[in-house]
Amino acid sequence: MLNRMISRILLAAVLSTSSCFGRAAEPLKIGMVASLTGSAAEVGRYETQGAKLAAEEVNKAGGVLGRPIELVIEDNQTTNPGVVLAFSKLAGDKDIPAFIGPTFSTQIHAIAPDIQRLGKPVTIGGTDPRLTHMGNPWLFRFRPNDVHSARVIADYGVKTLGKKKWAIVHSTDAFGTSGMKNLVEDLKGMDVEPTLVQGYTNNSQDFTPVVLAVKQSGADVMATYMTVPSDLAIFARQLRQLGVNIAWVGSPSTVATDGLKLAGPALFGSYAVADFAADSSPAAKEFAAKYEANYKSAPDYHGAWTYDAVHVLALAINNAKGLEPQKIREAILSVKDYPGVEGTYNFDQNGDGLHSYNVVKNDNGKIVFIKHIDFSE
Amino acid sequence: MDIALQLLFTGLGVGSIYALVALGFVLIYRATNVVNFAQGDFAMLGAFSMVVLCVDLELPYWLGILITLAVMLVFGALFNFAVYYPLRNRGFQPVIISTIGASILLENGVLAAYGPRPQTLPGFLSFPGFSVGPIFFDSQYLLILGVTVVMVTLQYFFVERTLLGKKMQATSQDKEMASLLGIPIALMIMLTFMYSSALGALAGILVAPILFVSVGMGSSIALKAFAASIIGGFGDVTGAIVGGLALGVVETFGAAYISVPYKDAFAFIVLVLFLLFRPQGLFGEKVAEKA
Repeated sequence: MLNRMISRILLAAVLSTSSCFGRAAEPLKIGMVASLTGSAAEVGRYETQGAKLAAEEVNKAGGVLGRPIELVIEDNQTTNPGVVLAFSKLAGDKDIPAFIGPTFSTQIHAIAPDIQRLGKPVTIGGTDPRLTHMGNPWLFRFRPNDVHSARVIADYGVKTLGKKKWAIVHSTDAFGTSGMKNLVEDLKGMDVEPTLVQGYTNNSQDFTPVVLAVKQSGADVMATYMTVPSDLAIFARQLRQLGVNIAWVGSPSTVATDGLKLAGPALFGSYAVADFAADSSPAAKEFAAKYEANYKSAPDYHGAWTYDAVHVLALAINNAKGLEPQKIREAILSVKDYPGVEGTYNFDQNGDGLHSYNVVKNDNGKIVFIKHIDFSE
Repeated sequence: MDIALQLLFTGLGVGSIYALVALGFVLIYRATNVVNFAQGDFAMLGAFSMVVLCVDLELPYWLGILITLAVMLVFGALFNFAVYYPLRNRGFQPVIISTIGASILLENGVLAAYGPRPQTLPGFLSFPGFSVGPIFFDSQYLLILGVTVVMVTLQYFFVERTLLGKKMQATSQDKEMASLLGIPIALMIMLTFMYSSALGALAGILVAPILFVSVGMGSSIALKAFAASIIGGFGDVTGAIVGGLALGVVETFGAAYISVPYKDAFAFIVLVLFLLFRPQGLFGEKVAEKA
């Protein structure tokens, strides 16, 4: 909050001094809704820090259409009503040509009708595949969707690790179930029928029955789609206690900060797919270094995708040579081979920018980059 | 067979967590005839207090436990004055609503102070457990089982063999009569709240190394513990223990042999069956509506 105020005051000061010379370009506003308060306030911090870092760089390099960009950030309170309110506030401002949207799929669904009515580009970080497949032309995704995470898990487990006997453990919520279905489908494509598909409900206090089922199934590799960090940690610990040490390839939540902290050594040696990995490309490495220098903490994907989104929006508006929404839309869709920090962006007609995932390994608590798997044609 | 034994051990471990929290429910119910829906939050507060003392301030574990229990005794007295005492003559509904309000306040208070991220608390015992053949005995579950037995035994001797315990029991059985006999019932009820608060905190400290420390940890256990105390016979100490253990075992076996996603449903199916066919529970006495 304070940072936001200071940056606004500084910006105002810069603007007023430059306007003395009479040639100041008025800043170009980019709207942003972020989870600044509420249960995912931590996420909002990463989101805004990544976006601000990119905005500074864009402005240093001459801005957009000769104008500096200014982020107008509204808090979505990590709730669906909150995001609707925040977005409608920004949508009312006629000077904003494009927006940085939320990271959570459910929030994006909540504002999708408003976005369609407004008819201006919104960048999003939610990974529910449906978001870009429901006929809304104004959503542009800056993270790979969940169809790709399943493909990468299957590809890495079968082709690289050479495992054919699969156990799949998944949460029965929307994320876990859709991940499981995609994975079963992808394995079928490789002639693999999972030996065990085991669902569980979020916030389980004990995973002994699940662990024993995995143990009895005789599987030699296990894939997981788990949502709640404490579930992941309890499961991982009981897995080790009951002596299950088969290869483990998890969804991105397996390397999320909270889960890693809770599970500790129980997750050592496991693989996971992750959209942001600091060592996956020169761009990612450079971003991680800059981020650490600026904010004294390592970035994660929340900051990475907003950083890419601001840069790509700036590029697209420059290419469109104007602020007309349809032109900006076309300019985003024609972005090809853009080396972002989350991966290389090649937008398809649905608005999906990334079609790749990184495979990482938890090497005694350190997340090591193993391999980049890309499915963009 | 190995699998069944492993499941039995885990089921008893989980069940003893329910039993410890159910014990707190039962004591307050007996003393005041109301259900304290903030009982689970006592466990949450105890666990957070341990995180602050032993992880953040790096005090020794035993000292952390002593300070936490002392603080929670005081907290129980405050809870009595703020949540129960002003409404004591207004029937049970206002008090129940008041405890629900307190529960929401406590959870959000801790959320505001400590944030949404779950915390870890190391166990009291330094070794994770041991294996006998294919069966793994988690040391923390063993500790919980042990502490449950000790607490129940102590409580039995306290209630049956000491004057203070007898006074508390008299208060819970018939307040008017107890009052006529010169027992200060307000004091007895305050003591009950203090003891339940510390007992809840102890449960929280014991489960924290297994379930981690988060704002919602208490309420998820409390719901099952509540079911356990009804199955056992509401208001009965033995019933709470047996009900808790039974619920843990039924749930674990149901998950293993029938369906994991329906694990939580088994607990509540058992609850519904009891309410339908044996509403007084396993150990409860069949009584009509109290006059």
